[in-house]
Parts: sequence; C-alpha cells; structure tokens
Amino acid sequence: MTHIMLFADGSSNAALWTFLIYMLAVFSLAAFSNKLLQGKNFLSEYFLGSRGLGVWAFALTFAATSASGGSFTGFPSKIYTHGWVLGLWIGSYIVVPICAMGLLGKRINQVARLSSSITVPDILRDRFRSVAFGLIAVSLIVFFMAFNLVAQFKSGSLILKTLVLDVTLFQNASTTVSGWIQGVSFFEGVDAGYLICLLTFGVAVIIYTTYGGFHAVVWTDVMQGIVMVIGVLIMLPLALHLVGKSAPEGTGALQYATEQMAHMVPPEKGTATIHRAGAGSERIVIRQGDWLTISADPVRLFRVTKEKEITADGTSVAEVPVLEIMTPSDRERVLGDEKMSVRSDLRIDSESLQMTAYVFGGEEDRNGNGKLDEGEDRNENGKLDHPQKGLYVTGPGPDPKRMNGFLPLSLAFSFFFMWAISGAGQPSSMVRLMAFKDTVTLRRSIFTVAIYYSMIYFPLVIIFCCARILLPGMENEPDRIMPAMAVFLTENIGLGWLAGLLVAAPFAAVMSTVDSFLLMISSSLVRDIYQRNIDPKVQEKTIKILSYVFTLIVGVAAMLGAVNPPQFLQDIIVYTGSGLAAAFLGPMVFALYWPRSNAAGSITGMLAGFGAHLAMYCTGYFVNDSFFLPYQLFNFDPVIIGLVSSFTATFVATLLTEPPPEDIVKKYFYQAKES
Amino acid sequence: MSSSSLPDKSQYDPTFVNSRREAIVIFGSWVVALIWAVPYCYLNGYNVADPENIKTVLGIPSWLFWGIAAPWVAANLFTTWFCFAYMKDDDLGVNPDAEPVAESDQQEQGSESNQEEGQE
Repeated sequence: MTHIMLFADGSSNAALWTFLIYMLAVFSLAAFSNKLLQGKNFLSEYFLGSRGLGVWAFALTFAATSASGGSFTGFPSKIYTHGWVLGLWIGSYIVVPICAMGLLGKRINQVARLSSSITVPDILRDRFRSVAFGLIAVSLIVFFMAFNLVAQFKSGSLILKTLVLDVTLFQNASTTVSGWIQGVSFFEGVDAGYLICLLTFGVAVIIYTTYGGFHAVVWTDVMQGIVMVIGVLIMLPLALHLVGKSAPEGTGALQYATEQMAHMVPPEKGTATIHRAGAGSERIVIRQGDWLTISADPVRLFRVTKEKEITADGTSVAEVPVLEIMTPSDRERVLGDEKMSVRSDLRIDSESLQMTAYVFGGEEDRNGNGKLDEGEDRNENGKLDHPQKGLYVTGPGPDPKRMNGFLPLSLAFSFFFMWAISGAGQPSSMVRLMAFKDTVTLRRSIFTVAIYYSMIYFPLVIIFCCARILLPGMENEPDRIMPAMAVFLTENIGLGWLAGLLVAAPFAAVMSTVDSFLLMISSSLVRDIYQRNIDPKVQEKTIKILSYVFTLIVGVAAMLGAVNPPQFLQDIIVYTGSGLAAAFLGPMVFALYWPRSNAAGSITGMLAGFGAHLAMYCTGYFVNDSFFLPYQLFNFDPVIIGLVSSFTATFVATLLTEPPPEDIVKKYFYQAKES
Repeated sequence: MSSSSLPDKSQYDPTFVNSRREAIVIFGSWVVALIWAVPYCYLNGYNVADPENIKTVLGIPSWLFWGIAAPWVAANLFTTWFCFAYMKDDDLGVNPDAEPVAESDQQEQGSESNQEEGQE
C-alpha cells in the first residue's frame, strides 16, 4: 500500500478485540457498582458514591475526568502542528493538581457534609439559604453541560470510528446502514459509519452510567486512567527508539528530533486536480495519506488529506485536498522510505494547484507592514522564497491562521491561568472533591495526580514532536495523528496488536468525561429541581426510578443531538468549560472562604461571570464574524475576563448588601458548640 | 459586623482556618510558577536570533527545559512537601449519608430507604 493504513489486517482485528474486551470490563464494573447501591442511601450513593472514595479511586477519577478526550486527540494534533511551544501551552500543569484539588478540596468537602449536599447547586443553595441561587446554578449547569455533552458524544464517536475504520465488519455494517437511512430526512447528510459509532458509543455509556451510577463512573474512570498512562508510557520509548534509529552516532534521539525540527518549515495546504497517469477505465480510489509528486528541482511532494476517487468513466477528480511538504529533509525521508512509496498511477495537475501558506511562519512580511501583501515572498513559480525555519523549536510557534503565531505572550498567560485556575472552577471537578473520604485521602491524591500528570503531559509533547519526524505531512488530519502514531510505532516493532490498546486511551478519556457530565445533569434534575423544589418528601423508590429515567433521557437526548451535531466541536467544549469556570469559581471561593459573603453578592458574581464571558463571544460574532472567535479584550481569553468580572462583582456587591444571617456564618465558619 | 453576636475569630473552625491558609499557599505557588515559567520562556524562547541552532538540554530546547521541564520537577517536590509535611489532617465532619438519621430532607429518605432496598 502506498500509505500507512490505519489498522490494516491484523491490527484492525486487534483494535476490535481491544474495544470489545474494554467494553466488557466497563459493563462488569457497572454491574458491580449497582450491587453497591443496595442497602445505602440511594441518592448519595448514586450521585456521590456515599462520600467514601479512597486514594486511587479519587485520584484517578479526578485526573481522568479532567483529562477529557482533548488530551489525546486535540493536544497531540496541536503538538504536531505547532511544535515544542506546546510545552509552554500546558506549562501550568506543573501546578494543576495542587491547584485544582487543593484550592477548594478540603473546604468544599467539609461544607458539603455540613449541608448534606450532594450536588454543587445544593451547596450554594444551603450555604446561602437561597432557593433562587440553587435554581440559577442548576440552570447554568444544565445549559452548559447539555451542549458539552452533545459535543463530547460526537468526539467519542469520531474516535471510535477511527478505531474501527478498517475493520471489515464495520465497513459492511456501514454499507448496510447507509441503505437504511437513505431518504430519511432526519439522517440527511449523516455518515452511516459515524451513526453506527455514535449508537455504539452512546448506548454503551448511557447503559453503564444509568445502571451503575457514580461508582460505575468512578471505577471506569480508574480503569480508563490506567489505560491512558500505560498508552503514553509505551509510546514514549518506542517513539524515541524509532527516531534514534536515524540519528547520527553519538547524537541522542531527542536531540536529533529537535535538530530536525529546527530546520523544518511549515507545509502549504490547498487543493489540486488529480488525473490518471495512464490509460485505463477502472475506478481509482485516492486514499487519505497517499503521496504524490510533481517533477521539478527539487521534486515537489504532496500528501492527500481527504479520500476521493476517479470514477470508472472519468479521467480526473478536481479539488482534492492536499498538503505540500516544504521541508527538504522531510521530502528526502518520505521519498527514500519504501513504506511510503509514491503513487505512480496518479498525476497532479500543477496548473490546478491552489495552495495557501501558513499565515505565521509560511511567509515573511518583507515590507514589515504587519500583513502579507499579495504575492509577497513568492517567486515566479508561485513557490515560497523564505518560509521561516526554527519555528517548531521556539515560541510562539507556526500557525496557519493567526498573524501572531500560535501562542503569543498574552495567550501564554491566559493558558497558564486557564488550566490551573479555571480547572478548579469546573462543577464536575467540584463534585469529585465532595466525594473523597478524609483529608489523608485528599493529600495522597493530590500527590498521586501530580505524578500521574507528569507521566502524561510532558511525555505527550515529546512523543508528538517525534511524530513530526516519523510521520510527516499529517497537519490536515488532526483526528488521525494519535491512532496513526500508535499503529506506526507498534508495527515497527512487530507488535501491531498493541495499537488497539494505545488507541483505547483517547476513547477512554472521552468516555470518562461523558459519563461524569451525564450524571451531573441528571443529578441536577433529580436532586436540585425535583426533590428540592417540586416534591421534598418524595419516596426513595420514586427517586430511584427518576434517577434512572433522567439519566437515560438526558443520555438519549444528547445522543440524538449528536446525530446532526453542531459544527464547531472543540469550540463548544472550550466555550462551555470556560463559561462554567467563569460562572462558578468566584461565588464558590467566596462561599467557602469569606464569612461575609452573601446570596446577593454571590448571585451577582455568578451572573457577572456568565455575562462577561458570553459578552466576549457575542462581541466576537460581530467583530470577527463568528461566535466561536471570541473578542479578546486586552488580548486575554474570555475566561479571564469572566473570572475577573465574577470575582470583582461578587466582592463589590457583597459589600454593598446586607451581611448574611449570623446563624449561617456560625454554622459554616465557627466551631460547633457542644450540644 | 461590630454589633454582631458572632464569636471571636479565634473560635473559627480549625478546618476552615487551615484550608484557607493552605489555599493561600497553593495560590502563591501558582503565582510563583506563572512568574517564572511564562517570562522565562518568553525571554529565552521567543524571537531567538539563531533558531536553527537552538541550545538544548537533554534534547529539549533549553528555554523549555529551564522554563517548564525543570520547574515541573521542582513543582512535584513542592507538591510532595505540601501534601506530606504542610497540609493538615482536619476533621471534615460526619458523613451525613452514614448517619441513620440525617438532616432535613434526608430524614424521610433515610428511614424509607432501608425498607425499599430490602425489596430489591
């Protein structure tokens, strides 16, 4: 074959088997968790694990939920596209465990016990004795998480699709389902393969979450957390080993990788018309990942980034997405590697090429006027004269769209803020902080997560910097870089079956996020809305049925939403995550640590954080023509504007309003008197 | 608050006092990390004069090694000290779910749950 086919032959079955074994383990854990529900307070056990989590369960459920699918799909793709600067992008992970768990952990757990709270809105409602505050908090959680859940469902389905793409059984099923949904308006434009993966992923998550509740989610998180770290720890030495094979004597593998990256220049993206090279009338499939060349000096090398075909009666296909490799050493590596042989049955029409260089790094602003004038820096052949070198080993990193590069200084500050501080403000993290057993557990868990993150995040940066050398030309295929690397690494050491395990890591990451969010929404509906506002004396049996039914309904609704999901998947995840932090962190910090804080001030702070964050996105809609290109006030990310607004508004509004009732202050801030 | 009947601050709940002090130290650690990592990386890793011959430490660009990788080790040492030497073991209070009779709306459930569960 002319390209690396994901999970070809033995590997595809290995991927399938890994997936099946993995799902079997998940369902076993759910069944076991359901047994734990017997004989305990149902609500607390179902939604909070009876506040009894030990070190491993607490540490890994916290780490796995926070990690989400992005760590294993979006993050590797970003490293690959922008280089070493991603080390700075995730720099604040050096203090994320201690910040995200330690800032609020001990105190929120204590306050949750004092108020018998099971959910985050529960805490706010009881701490401030305000029904309205509880309802506002529930509304925001449901609003943000519902969107996020749909996006996560899509993300999980796409990863699953990548996992089974080349499995014959899956391909046959796709063909069959494609026939079934043809003509059904609801499924118009929906890819049958995606639909199968969505159903498989969705049904599996919904069933085990509904049946097993919080403990099922926690234990699957533990398993998923272990899968993730094993995946990374296997990939790291393999990646270094394979890069090191090409390194000159006496040069270390990573040193060699960095030297190679220092000479790399960004590729160009675009489209081309592709013709048959010879006569013939057979159908030709041009696969994603195929290599094509144009004879020139030096030879121009292109990689196809989306599958197309030349029909039996056709001679060419137009507008095939391609990526041109601009780095000479990459070209030599590909052309000299027999496994990456170039397709000789196809020919690119050089006249048809419509190529675009990276805005930052692809071309130089010779005039120094701050923008790239038309034709600037291109010679008469349309080729770049001076694509910049060294961008992959320095900041701000090359970027296809942004003039200031990938990570300008203001964004570096923003991300340092975002991971550590807004990570602490996620309600899904707060719920976990309410569930650990005692402070010994908290201390040991912070330490465990610190070690865990150290074993995942920086090694991922190293692995996918190596991927730039091992697998050139994958900038246009962000979803495929992780599985492609897994297959490449394992097949090169003759252990193709291992790829299945490695690719299970991102799947596990999405799953552990989805199940937690699903439970958060249903707990909000059952506990915060039904039990606390509609029928406070509801019987346990009814609660139980409602919990199952709501979890099921929310899951099915999110799954249906994901059949025709909104386009901007990653943007929705970013918007909802940062929006939740902007709304919840300020009021929660003041609620826990400031005796003077009151309901009026905290509600004001929550709405101010939500409003300011939303305002940045709405302004972006008018200024940048897209809701998901938010306006960056003072060049800062909206989450920082939201957090600053929220903290300031809470503080000022609290001081301008009446102090809280003294009995509340005594209950939450003073030692209890002996009765 | 001057006319309030609240007890003296010395009677604050020790768990609250300890967790607030620990939160301040944690926030301080984040500030230190921020003040070191971002400016160091910016000053040494951005606008590099000769990026094709960038200095490395253990194969990692030296600006990233000293800006993030080495501080990561230091941060882990700090976390270890914080978790095992600084952070206090405090009483988090009774687990309301472990109590046969819990507060407010838990009361009804508590008594009913045992009966209901028996039928499962």
